[in-house]
Amino acid sequence: MNIILGNKKAYLTNFGITIVQFLHMKYLYMILLFGIVSACIEISDDITLNNNGSGSLRYKINLSSSKVKINSILALDSLDGKPVPSKEQISSKINEFVRILDAQEGISNVLVEENYTDFIFKFSCDFTSINNLQDAIALSIAQISKDKISSPSDQYWLSWDGNRLVRSIPSYITEQIKNYKVQDAELLKDGVYTSIARFERPVVSFENKLSTLSKNQMAVMVRTNTLDLKENQHLLDNTIVLSPR
Amino acid sequence: MSIQFKIVLSLVTSILFGNTALAQQQQIQSEQLLPKDAVTVFSINNISLLQKISMDELVRYEFMSEVHQELFDGSTSGKTLKDAGLDFDQRLNLFYGKTSTHELTGFTFGIADKKALFEVFDDFQVVNSPLNGLEIYGTFFNQLLIKDNRAILIRIEPTMERIDEVTDSIWYARGNEIPFDFFDEPAEDEQILDEQTFEDNPNTPIFPEASDNPAVKNYYELRDSVQVILQQAELSRVINEIFVKGENLYNHDARFAAQLTHNAEGAFYLDNARNLDKSQGLWYFQTVLPTLYKDIQELYAGNVILGDLFLRDNKIDFEVEAQYGPALGSIYAQMNDAKFDQNVLAYISSESPAYFTYNVNLQKAYEQAYKVLLPMLSDEKNAQIAMNVLTLELLNEFINKDALFDTYKGSMFGTFSGIKKVMIKKIEFSYDEETFAYQEIETETQADMPIFTLGFSTTRADIPELVLKHMARLSSRVQRFEHYWRIDNAILDAAPLYILNTGKLLIMTNDEDLARLHPNGYGKAALGKKERSAAKHSGFMYGSADIPQTLDGFPLDVLTPRNAEIVSSLKGKSGHITLSSSETNTSHTAFKLSYSYLGEESTGKHLLDLVNSLYLIYTLNP
Repeated sequence: MNIILGNKKAYLTNFGITIVQFLHMKYLYMILLFGIVSACIEISDDITLNNNGSGSLRYKINLSSSKVKINSILALDSLDGKPVPSKEQISSKINEFVRILDAQEGISNVLVEENYTDFIFKFSCDFTSINNLQDAIALSIAQISKDKISSPSDQYWLSWDGNRLVRSIPSYITEQIKNYKVQDAELLKDGVYTSIARFERPVVSFENKLSTLSKNQMAVMVRTNTLDLKENQHLLDNTIVLSPR
Repeated sequence: MSIQFKIVLSLVTSILFGNTALAQQQQIQSEQLLPKDAVTVFSINNISLLQKISMDELVRYEFMSEVHQELFDGSTSGKTLKDAGLDFDQRLNLFYGKTSTHELTGFTFGIADKKALFEVFDDFQVVNSPLNGLEIYGTFFNQLLIKDNRAILIRIEPTMERIDEVTDSIWYARGNEIPFDFFDEPAEDEQILDEQTFEDNPNTPIFPEASDNPAVKNYYELRDSVQVILQQAELSRVINEIFVKGENLYNHDARFAAQLTHNAEGAFYLDNARNLDKSQGLWYFQTVLPTLYKDIQELYAGNVILGDLFLRDNKIDFEVEAQYGPALGSIYAQMNDAKFDQNVLAYISSESPAYFTYNVNLQKAYEQAYKVLLPMLSDEKNAQIAMNVLTLELLNEFINKDALFDTYKGSMFGTFSGIKKVMIKKIEFSYDEETFAYQEIETETQADMPIFTLGFSTTRADIPELVLKHMARLSSRVQRFEHYWRIDNAILDAAPLYILNTGKLLIMTNDEDLARLHPNGYGKAALGKKERSAAKHSGFMYGSADIPQTLDGFPLDVLTPRNAEIVSSLKGKSGHITLSSSETNTSHTAFKLSYSYLGEESTGKHLLDLVNSLYLIYTLNP
């Protein structure tokens, strides 16, 4: 397996952070940010890309090792002067997001699993094309959080030409990451971010040195801790090249 | 008594006490600038203790937060209070007050060297003074008023309600329509940008949209103007009151003046009766039920809290007396007519970093409160109140009060046993090597858990037992063990709660060791004789906390931001705090808070730490 090095045009699509941005609503956001900066969190994004450009996206946030802390936050009226939402309010916002995303062109089977016992949130959807997925996400973010996507380059962070997947983090996400306050580096070190890309054909090469290839050669995984990700938001950038059809 | 003898006596008296009286008169100079609207005052009598405190250190205290903007610009760097030109023969008085229309904060002090003072207060600009001999200096936020060798640094803010009221009045009188579009979606909280985001986003709207005619102010411009005018008007009123009429808190409230005569390093004053006005929770009564509000005011009439700060060997004693009127006093007196329940002492470990006992008679307090408050409520001609009164009277008749108050008598104790590691279940994501197929694995991890115990005196242990038995029938999470009940995942959905029903005490704890190993108390490992005696002989309450063990390990996340701020202010300090109270009667209760510390830091620093904590307690939790 060749690892492509030195390509200045390195991209990645960090679905994980993107989904945090999906959920950039004041309620869940507060909990998630708090989780990221102050407690142990496990995030996983998992994209399956078919040869025809359609696919599915799965995104998971696991706060189970921080549930004592999350529950203590939820027991408060406010945190840092901002009201703390109830589980019902969080759920309502998530469902609103699902409803908006599900109505977008090229998006189907939007599902969310909310586990408030272990604080595990799972999101998945199917898409007909990468562009449909990105447009839908941008529109949904705009509707739910009133965030404006200022330029097309912010909106498009995934590209697929039939043989090569290029992933990057949109600038509106990197801006958010930069603003995270490090309260406890050790806790951030314990957080894990996993990014997986699955394909219908074998992978020929990938650029990111942190990547590993599955034994069946059909999937690429990148894992890092949340502290490193905060310090280098391009850590998960990747360009993955597939074998010719 | 002969005239000669009287003359001799008066001469001797004047010789003996004349200088003292003169000194006293000089010492009270800075107090004479305290606005009479000040509700909370901290007076530091012996400010020579603070000579070595650096200005940088001083402005970091929360009690300076309202007035410190001008002091954070580098002009304080490397300077001490002594360098700032303060007169150490006069008191430093910190004050906070709120009227129905304004909030005012600041401090008064004496000046020894005006030139040095303005090297620190270097942002203040001279403002035209309406009075001869009064110098006024101003900045964007604060005003510095100097007369002779006394000064008051004051910040006045009109309340939002007052600004809105005046702005609306002018706005509509000018024939304008509603300035807000109620069909617009309300602004979300997240749109309030923090400083970083604000600076990084050049498109952030800063100014309100201009009106069509630039000579005519839009609503927000008008509101800003109103705020400034109200501020200026209130400042003029305060100046007139203090410097023309000579009215100030010192000569307005004899209780405050008397407090300053005490031979103490510091004095504290809180007029709780006037403090009622600033309680946000009472706005409904003020506006909708003015008669009832007046009754409540009468109930609290005379409720003032006065305190002295004494510096003793490596110890600061804060002795406080809460005074109240007869109505409120009668409730407190009945409430505190309780016998100390010694059973609680067996369940407080000598290792506990912090604990308290609280000893009240809830039944007597209820009966007295019923007697005092019900007539007030009954007089109110309000349908909702009338229904509530009826409900209360019916409950009073139908409920078995003896059973209720025998179950929950009101006396209780609590302990904080530090942070312990508890095992909690967590889910881990796992991926196989072949395809990166995903699965979830349940594992265990350690989490920090603050360990608390709370126990109540009871003589009806059968009633909580009845409740627990039925809960156990309904849920498998509730289980009976030999000496205790366990409710799984009751604490933050992660850790079990243990309930010990000893027959005399109902104890709830997340301390597994207490439930399993000490169901009959700690025995010899319980509190020592000295501590037991102190708790027993204290009035209605006693508390003890080892500061480093308690506060440094205390999880601030579980506190409200306000209380977290109070705890943070004490973090990093050495020493021990004990709080005790005297017996309560119908006119007063006395408390004593002792703060003992190791001798590494200066006494003045400890004094300010304590003053700061008290300031936070009394201003944030009125």
